[in-house]
Amino acid sequence: MFSHNRRKLLQASGVLLAAGAFPLSLRAQLAAPRVVVIGGGFAGATLAKYVRMWNPKIQVTLIEPNPTHVSCILSNLVMTGAMAMTDITIRYDNLRTKYGVTIVADRAIGIDPVNRKVSTQNGTVIPYDKLVLAPGIDFDAIPGLDPAVVPHAWQAGPQTLALKGLVQSVPAGGTFLMSIPKAPYRCPPGPYERACLVADTLLRNRRAGKVIVLDANTDVVAEPHTFHTAFQTTYASVIEYHPSTTVDSVDWANKTINTNWGPIRVDAANIIPGQRAGKVVASAGLLGRDPATRWASVNPLNYESTLVPNVHVIGDSQGTGQPKSGHMANSEAKVCADALIRYFAGEAPDPAPMTNSACYSPITAKTASWLTVVFGYDAATGLMKPVPNTLAEAPSPSSEHYKDMFGWAKNLFADSFS
Amino acid sequence: MMKSHRKYLAGAGALALLLAAAAADAAPPAGRLLAAQCAQCHGTNGQAVGGMEKLAGESESEIYGELIKMKANIKPNEIMHRQAAGYTDAQIRLMARYYATGGKTTATGTPTPSSNTGDSRRRKSHDD
Ligand SMILES: Cc1cc2nc3c(=O)[nH]c(=O)nc-3n(C[C@H](O)[C@H](O)[C@H](O)COP(=O)(O)OP(=O)(O)OC[C@H]3O[C@@H](n4cnc5c(N)ncnc54)[C@H](O)[C@@H]3O)c2cc1C
Repeated sequence: MFSHNRRKLLQASGVLLAAGAFPLSLRAQLAAPRVVVIGGGFAGATLAKYVRMWNPKIQVTLIEPNPTHVSCILSNLVMTGAMAMTDITIRYDNLRTKYGVTIVADRAIGIDPVNRKVSTQNGTVIPYDKLVLAPGIDFDAIPGLDPAVVPHAWQAGPQTLALKGLVQSVPAGGTFLMSIPKAPYRCPPGPYERACLVADTLLRNRRAGKVIVLDANTDVVAEPHTFHTAFQTTYASVIEYHPSTTVDSVDWANKTINTNWGPIRVDAANIIPGQRAGKVVASAGLLGRDPATRWASVNPLNYESTLVPNVHVIGDSQGTGQPKSGHMANSEAKVCADALIRYFAGEAPDPAPMTNSACYSPITAKTASWLTVVFGYDAATGLMKPVPNTLAEAPSPSSEHYKDMFGWAKNLFADSFS
Repeated sequence: MMKSHRKYLAGAGALALLLAAAAADAAPPAGRLLAAQCAQCHGTNGQAVGGMEKLAGESESEIYGELIKMKANIKPNEIMHRQAAGYTDAQIRLMARYYATGGKTTATGTPTPSSNTGDSRRRKSHDD
């Protein structure tokens, strides 16, 4: 009873609390609070859905230029031909009709954090009380590299089909080269998974020559046991793995990749450049002044930028050190959604948020492995840290994991977009 | 300084009412955020699709018991055992209770009948 009265009292003084500890714009107190989300990938879609599902009094506007989301998850299986583009293409209809998210088909180009406004390419100005940036990744430039000619396929869509065509174009006995950027990059096991599937496809089509894997890192970044085993046994006749190797430039007229060890002539190449937060994060001033900063520094309790108030960053663009996966993007979005809802109620964020990730990687046409981890907030350092005993890879790839992969993906897609 | 402060306070009364109304249904129920972290694999509100195990409607003791058993004996081939190892017993209790009591709200914010009963049960057990 006492606690009930006290809660009422606290609510009555909510304005002062809000004005002090959690400054709430006057408008946000008087009318429906407005959340604007930039980017409708796994992070942005989940955020929009969960804010509306948990508190429909909050208005949510999602700015996304593409009419559908093409998922990177499972996109390597489109490359092999096991799946179709339609299988990884997700519609936004449910966000609109089921949850009442307002979708603006446009690209955000400018942010005014003082007056809390976003401007778009088509000239619309959208005001917000809280802004959430979820624009995914942007790529480093590599001299001579044109992704329209040498695809990265690290954003799904036309790039995925370009890569599929490229794998099919490798002549019998030819050389396919792929390069892996320095970590952190999107999807730690993804490039190694791709190397396996390219090798598998070439072997199955009896065209296997060589798959050269150049890794800018000193060793396999994720699932070392799984991928070293695959490279040294399953694909020993095809894959050549070169750690500590960077791509310095590309001379595609001569089909030559210049590395820190010297030039390599190839038949086909898939260069995955180094990565950083989506452009709009930098243009909003969230990376600060040091050009070496690649990801937005945020408070992991609510994903608010440590540099610009009322602007939050989730998904691959944020820099908490948690793995850049779609599963994790979804997980972070829920923590952020919960914190925004509490904020509009004049409350502090959950002091002990948990997140998790799971990635299934096909290793052959019939088997897959997995990688998983649970993160918890560490109050002493203010960081998200892996909980002991939770970071693990599957002991070996199996057909059972391959089957589970589709159940997992189906739920992840649905939980994020519908 | 003093004057503007008083003016602010006067307005605060009306605003507080509005805020209180917003806060009333906004305060997240215990365990909701934690439980939502199962949804990537087990479906939104535990309503799994495509052959994964659903959590909605499972009993508290069942979910709690299973997770505690998993984390006590981690089998390397079981991804779920690693997940279970990520949470304290108290966190597992909160998640199990949330799913067992059907902490489900519709998109319009109307609590479903099951979440009405769930709410009261949750609050009660939260207080003990
Ligand atoms: C080959 C591959 C395999 C992968 N496999 C897995 C896996 O098995 N499991 C897993 O969990 N993850 C996997 N991932 C990683 C996963 O795809 C990413 O981590 C995830 O997509 C990140 O989500 P996001 O919302 O941050 O970014 P994105 O999904 O890239 O979404 C960003 C969105 O923002 C939009 N946008 C960008 N800028 C603007 C702007 N200025 N205005 C408006 N909209 C904008 C874009 O159009 C895009 O829709 C894989 C990735 C790859 C490449």
